[in-house]
Amino acid sequence: MTDLTFLALATVTVASAILALEARDLVYGAAALGISFLGVAGLFFLLDASYTGVFQIAVYIGAVVVLILFTVMLVGPQLGEPPLELKRLSLLTALLVSLLLGTAGSLTSAAAFPGPDNCGAGCDLTRLSTTLINQYGVPLEFLSLVLAAAVIGALTLAKADRKG
Amino acid sequence: MPDPVSQILQLVTSTYFLEIVVFPGLISIAILGAFFTWFERKLTARVQLRIGPSYSSPVGGILQGFADIIKLLFKELIIPEGADRFFFIMSPVTALIIGAALLGLIPFAPGVQIANVEVGLPAFLAIVTLSPTIVLLAGWSANSKFPFIGGLRALFQQTAYEIPLWLSALGVVMITGTLNLTGIVQFQQNNGWLILPQALGAVLFIVTSTAEMERLPFDLPEAESEIMMGWQAEYPGPLFMLVQGPAFIKLYAFAALFSTLYLGGYLGPAIIPPIVWFFLKTIVIIVAVMLFRSTFPRVRLDQLLRQGWTTLLTLSIVNIAIAYFVVVGLPAI
Repeated sequence: MTDLTFLALATVTVASAILALEARDLVYGAAALGISFLGVAGLFFLLDASYTGVFQIAVYIGAVVVLILFTVMLVGPQLGEPPLELKRLSLLTALLVSLLLGTAGSLTSAAAFPGPDNCGAGCDLTRLSTTLINQYGVPLEFLSLVLAAAVIGALTLAKADRKG
Repeated sequence: MPDPVSQILQLVTSTYFLEIVVFPGLISIAILGAFFTWFERKLTARVQLRIGPSYSSPVGGILQGFADIIKLLFKELIIPEGADRFFFIMSPVTALIIGAALLGLIPFAPGVQIANVEVGLPAFLAIVTLSPTIVLLAGWSANSKFPFIGGLRALFQQTAYEIPLWLSALGVVMITGTLNLTGIVQFQQNNGWLILPQALGAVLFIVTSTAEMERLPFDLPEAESEIMMGWQAEYPGPLFMLVQGPAFIKLYAFAALFSTLYLGGYLGPAIIPPIVWFFLKTIVIIVAVMLFRSTFPRVRLDQLLRQGWTTLLTLSIVNIAIAYFVVVGLPAI
């Protein structure tokens, strides 16, 4: 059952991620990106990391996808067709990334994640917060820059359009 | 060896199935939605010294909502030329799914809850954040001026209320120490209703959730008198019903969440069963939000944005400080 759910979620995530890159219409691309994020959130739920899953939905779909959609709608569809060279390059990049990920995945052993130290369904909030702030404070702050990056990106794109 | 008929019977009569389909699930949502439309019209009419719906009834036009549903269902389904058909049709459907998903998280009575999620409160708020995206897509897909303006307004509005909404709910989480909605209710069983220590948070929550529900005085994305129903303008009869439905479901869900967070949910003296307590509290909140509509004028977008980023944000941070002192205790001076 879990395997089936995982396969379904993984299929949805990967397929919509591909659609997000390949869609002719950028609005469809952004919506597909949202569905892909939703699939990732589902994977988090499957891993018992419901807290992360919920914030994946809130931040990535509720904020990042909305900003992307907003920019796409303001800038208009004429930027939608990327040049062919970029497509070849993206194919190469995809190949490289999957190679890297595959190597990393095959090198990783179970020993890299020792013990049942993850914050599962029964884990209390206090411990999670303490761990987040004390141990992972700096990475957390860096992660929160995602939103700032999205805002700056949206502003840049919207402004570039106004000049031209 | 169970035969298929008895298996199906077993499924249909199982608690889980009944919860999803009958109560607190789909059928009760549909009936309450129709009832609330009538109730709001009647209430607004009374406030404005009118009579309101009065024909379709045993009493006071109470069946008006159902009559409206039947009327809207039999209208022609016209999709505007140049509209993006996929998003135009899928947006109302998705909005309805989002609204119904919210009610699955609410504990209506001990044990009457479709999904008792460990992170119920942020799950509720995270599902809610999806709806401005849907509104934007719906407004864009109609390929028409007013719907698109409405969609953009929904987005601007979201940036104003979203952060105060989450922060005002954070006070409750700090005091109760749990994100689970049932846990929050159980905490109030031992420690009294949270509206007392979190009065400021409760006010902030109801203001920001009114903005989220796109109801007056924050109904900028629809604003009948400015942009003619905004993002809903192009929707034909049956789809218009699907668009209106989520608005009432969200009102119901947010009122239910408010009574869960601040009014002790289903708690109350045992003379009345818990579920009735829950509905009494929820209906009080719904009436309050409906009275906003008939008493306040609409705010402007720039006013909402400015107040959202200054007053509401500041007050919600003050509220977090209050919650901190409630948890830690006042410092000795």
